[in-house]
Amino acid sequence: MYFWQDPQFGDRMITLMAAFVLVLQITMVAQRWLITNIRAFAVQSLLLAGIANTVAYFNHAPHIYAAAALTLVLKAILLPVFLRRLVARIEIRQEIEPLVNVPLSVIISGLLTMLAYVVAEPLRAASGPGDSAALGHNTLPVAIALFLIGFFMMVSRRKALTQVLALLSLENGLFLAAISLTYGMPLIIELGIFFDVLVAVMILAILVYRIRETFDSMDVSRLSRLKG
Amino acid sequence: MTFALLLLIPLAASGLTAISRERRAMEAIHLLSALGGFAAAVLLAGEVLSRGTTSCWSGFLYADSLSALVVLLGSFVYLACAPYAIGYFRTDEANQVFGTEENPHEHLAKLRKYFTLTPLFAFSMSLVAVAGNLGVMWVAVEGTTLASIFLVTFYGRPTSLEAAWKYAMIAGVGLSMALFGTILVYYAAQHSTGGESLSALNWAVLVGGAARFDRTVTRLAFILVLLGYGAKAGIAPMHTWKPDAYSEAPVPVAALMAVSVLNCALYALARFYVLTVNCLGPAFPSQLLILFGLLSIGIAAPFILVQRNYRRLLAYSSIDQGGIMVLGLGFGGVLGPLGMLLHMTFHSVTKPLLFFCAGNAQQQTGNDSLKKTAGGLLHALPVSAPMFLMATLAITGTPPFSMFQSEFTVMRAGFAGQHEGMAILFVALLVAIFAGFFYHIAQLVLGPASGPPQRETCRWKTYPVVALSVLVVVMGFWLPAPVYALVEGAARIVTSTPAVHP
Repeated sequence: MYFWQDPQFGDRMITLMAAFVLVLQITMVAQRWLITNIRAFAVQSLLLAGIANTVAYFNHAPHIYAAAALTLVLKAILLPVFLRRLVARIEIRQEIEPLVNVPLSVIISGLLTMLAYVVAEPLRAASGPGDSAALGHNTLPVAIALFLIGFFMMVSRRKALTQVLALLSLENGLFLAAISLTYGMPLIIELGIFFDVLVAVMILAILVYRIRETFDSMDVSRLSRLKG
Repeated sequence: MTFALLLLIPLAASGLTAISRERRAMEAIHLLSALGGFAAAVLLAGEVLSRGTTSCWSGFLYADSLSALVVLLGSFVYLACAPYAIGYFRTDEANQVFGTEENPHEHLAKLRKYFTLTPLFAFSMSLVAVAGNLGVMWVAVEGTTLASIFLVTFYGRPTSLEAAWKYAMIAGVGLSMALFGTILVYYAAQHSTGGESLSALNWAVLVGGAARFDRTVTRLAFILVLLGYGAKAGIAPMHTWKPDAYSEAPVPVAALMAVSVLNCALYALARFYVLTVNCLGPAFPSQLLILFGLLSIGIAAPFILVQRNYRRLLAYSSIDQGGIMVLGLGFGGVLGPLGMLLHMTFHSVTKPLLFFCAGNAQQQTGNDSLKKTAGGLLHALPVSAPMFLMATLAITGTPPFSMFQSEFTVMRAGFAGQHEGMAILFVALLVAIFAGFFYHIAQLVLGPASGPPQRETCRWKTYPVVALSVLVVVMGFWLPAPVYALVEGAARIVTSTPAVHP
C-alpha cells in the first residue's frame, strides 16, 4: 500500500489544508489591498477544492468530485477573474478602509476562532465515538470560524466590493461544513447552491457597479438616506 | 400534472414577455399567466383536499395542506397585483416617471423588466412551497431574493439602490445561515435516515425520523434556521431592510413581497419548527419564537407611532404582522398554529389592498409623506381613500373584520399555553399599533378638501381595490368551507407532535 492510500495520511492532508484555509481567512482580515484579498480568496477556494477531492478519494464518493470541480472552476478561477476585472473597470482606490484597525481585527478573529472551537465541541461529541475519527470531521471548527470571521468582515468593512468578498468567504465556510459533516450534500442541491451563489455574485457586482455610478464612491456608509 | 402547470405557466410567461415587443402583448400575457397560475393553485388545493398529500418525481415535488395554502395565497396575491400593475405603470408613464416621451424604447425596457422578473418571482415562490426537499426549498427561497432585487431597484434612484443593497446583504447573510441550518439538519438526520442520496433531505423522510435526530445538532440548526429565514421574513432585529425595500419598490412589487416573501419564509420556518418539536419537544423552539415574535411587534409599535411616511408605515405594519404569526407559532398548542395560519390567510387578502390604496394615494399626490399631504384625500380619491381607511381598520384587527378573529385565536393560544404575561403584552402592543396606524391614516384621508373634488378614472387601479375590499368585508363574516378545511389541515401538520417522545 502506498502512503497516499493511507486514510491517516488523507486525514492529515485535510487538517493541513483546513489550517491554511483559516490562515488565509485571517490574512484577508489583516491586509489592506483589495487585489491581495481577491487572490487570497482564490487560493482559499483552491484549497477547498483540494479538501473536497481528498474526501471524495478516501470515501469513494464520486459525486464530491463534481462539487470539487465546480468549486475549482467557479470560485477559484472564474469569480476572482471577474472580480479583478470589475476592480480594474470601476477604478476604485485599491485600499480597504476597515472600521476596526488591523491589530484589533486580528485579535477579534482569533477570539472568534476560539468561539468556533467551543461551539463545535458538543457537535463533535454528538457524532459518536465511532465516527469521531471519521475523515475530515475535525474541520468543523474551522468551518464555523470561517463563517464567523466572514460575518465580522462584513460588518467591519465599508466598501461594497469588500462586503461581497466577505460574503463569499463566509460561503466558503458553509461549503467546508457541508463537505466535512455530510461528505457533500446530495449533488442536485450542491448544483443549485452553486448556481445561486454565482447569480447572487453577478447581481451584487452589478449593484456595486451602479452604486459606483450613482454615488461616485463605493462607500456603503454613504448609503444612509433612508431612515426611520 | 398540476405541479407542471403551476411551475411552467410563470416560466412561460416570463420567457414570452422577454421577447415580446408590444406593451399590450406583455400586459395580456401577464394577466393570462396570473389567471392560469391561480387556477393551477386552486387545482392543487382541490387535489390536496381530496387526497391528503400529493407528490411527483419520487417526492421531489410534494404538496400537503400547508404547501397548498401557501401556494394558493401566493398566487392569489399575484392575481390581484396583475391588473393593478398595468394601471400603476400606465399612470407612471403618464406622469413621466420613466422620463419624457422622447424615448419609448426605454419605457418598454423598464416595463419588460417588471413583466419578466415578476413571473420568475412567482415561480420561485411556488417552488418554495411545493419542493419536497429542504435543500431545494432553500434554493427556491434564494431564488425569490434574486428575482426581487432588481425589482426593488426598478426606479433607479439613489435611494432605491441603497434599499436594494441593504436587502441583498441582509437576505444574503440570512440565507447563508439558513443553509448552514439545513446542512446541520441533514447531519443530524444522517444517523437515523442513513442515506446519502437526494431523498435524505425529503420532508416526508425527515419528519418520520425526526424523533431520532441528534439533539445538540438539531438545537443549533433550529437557531440558525430561525435567524436565517427570520431575516428573510423581516423578523426583528433583522427587519431593517423592510421599510426601505417596501417604500422604494414599485407598489405591486411591494405588495407581492409583503405577502409572498413573508409567507414563504414563515412556511420554511414552520417546516423546521415541526422537525425541531418532533426531536426536542415544544419548549425550546417556543421560547425563541415567542421572544422574536414579541420583539418584532414591540419594535414595530414605536416606529408606527412616530412614522412620517405611509409606505414605510405599511412596512412596519408588515413587520408587526410577521411578529404576530411567529408569536402564534411560538404559543403552540392546537390554537397557536391555527391562529398563525388564519392570520396568514387574512393578511394575504388585506395587505395588498392597503398597498394598492397607498399606491393610488402616492400617484395622486406625488409623494408618500404623511406630513406634506395636508389631509382631505377623501375628496381627491373617492374610491381608494375610504377603502384605505377601511383596510387600516381591518389590518389593525378591529372586530367586524377577519383579522380580529385570528389575533384573538393567537391570544387564546397564549392563555391556553400558560403564557399569560406574554399574551397581555401582545394585546397592549396591538392597541398601541392600532392607535398610531389609525391616527396617521385618518389624518391623511379625512379633513377639508385641498382642491376641487375629483374622480378616479383609471379602472385598472380602482377595480382591484373594490374587489379586494368586497373580499375583506365578506371574509369578516364568512370564510369558504374548503379554504377553512385547508387552513385547518395545514394547522394540523404544524401541530402534529409525535406519539412517543424520548
